[in-house]
Amino acid sequence: MAVDELVDHITPEVRAVIGARSDWLEAPHPVEASEVRRFFQALMDPNPRFWDTAHAAGTRYGDVVAPPGFPVHAFRRPAEELNDSLAAAGDPDFDGVSRAMRPGLPKLPVPLSGILNGGYEYEFFSYPKVGERIQCRSAYLDIYQKLGKAGPMVLVVIEDEYRTADGRPLLKSLNTMIMR
Amino acid sequence: MAETVYFETVAVGDDIPVLAKGPMTTAHIIRWSAAMENWHKIHYDWRYATGHDGLPDVLINGSWKQHVLAQVLVDWAGETGWLWKMNFQYRGMNIPGDTLAAWGRVTSRSQRGRFGVVDLDIGLKDQNGKEGSPGTASVVLPLRDGPPVPYPFDPAALN
Repeated sequence: MAVDELVDHITPEVRAVIGARSDWLEAPHPVEASEVRRFFQALMDPNPRFWDTAHAAGTRYGDVVAPPGFPVHAFRRPAEELNDSLAAAGDPDFDGVSRAMRPGLPKLPVPLSGILNGGYEYEFFSYPKVGERIQCRSAYLDIYQKLGKAGPMVLVVIEDEYRTADGRPLLKSLNTMIMR
Repeated sequence: MAETVYFETVAVGDDIPVLAKGPMTTAHIIRWSAAMENWHKIHYDWRYATGHDGLPDVLINGSWKQHVLAQVLVDWAGETGWLWKMNFQYRGMNIPGDTLAAWGRVTSRSQRGRFGVVDLDIGLKDQNGKEGSPGTASVVLPLRDGPPVPYPFDPAALN
């Protein structure tokens, strides 16, 4: 612990990725009705805007839509990614979480294994309709170190912008991830 | 359909209707984890969560909690208002057995352009009243004699 307190994880390599911004990347498949259904059922939010096409046709959306924060979860494991993400599940330390912060951003050269989600700031513009394709681009806005109760923590502030493939803004988020 | 909430009817100090979920169980947690394909073991592997990670139990997903915070605001704003901004911090852990109540209280209101903007404190309390996800939000509401809030929402409309 005494030694850890002196460790500066914000190395020149880490500094070099602050400001890095990805290209616009597209989610592997369009928003699917069954995917939206599983979301609102798990959220226990059966609002007709998510499933009743006749109702939705008369709303400002024009068709059924996904919940506001849905785009954040749209980037799933693509079909062509053949490496099994659970291949290492037999390792007692395997926690099931990818250390890649975002698909289009470089991995962070920080030797801390714990990862926590600190929170979000959202700005909403529209909701994705079933059948629409979602695109995202991300940036490391800031990366800095703080001393926590259990030693040094690295806070990573990521900006994500989401839009539809035809350019309609969906939402913007600032997400703080905590590595420790 | 919920009735339109007009800006004129909202006062500082107002509480919006509370939205309660639960009691939450491991089945609720795995239903959400499967829907979003999140395989983090702290959400379904009790031995890993309590042993390896030293947690009190498996945890309710933060990603689930954020949607509940959005829902309480969207339900209140209805199809004529717009949840514009929302932020929160994940400060507390929630576990099976918890009943969570999303809440919002109006802290300020201002007319901007031909629309009303209402700022709220928000959060998600457990059955003991402990706050685990405090934050703030801004909701755009129509004026009684004003135009509909634009959709897609463009913040430039507030200028």
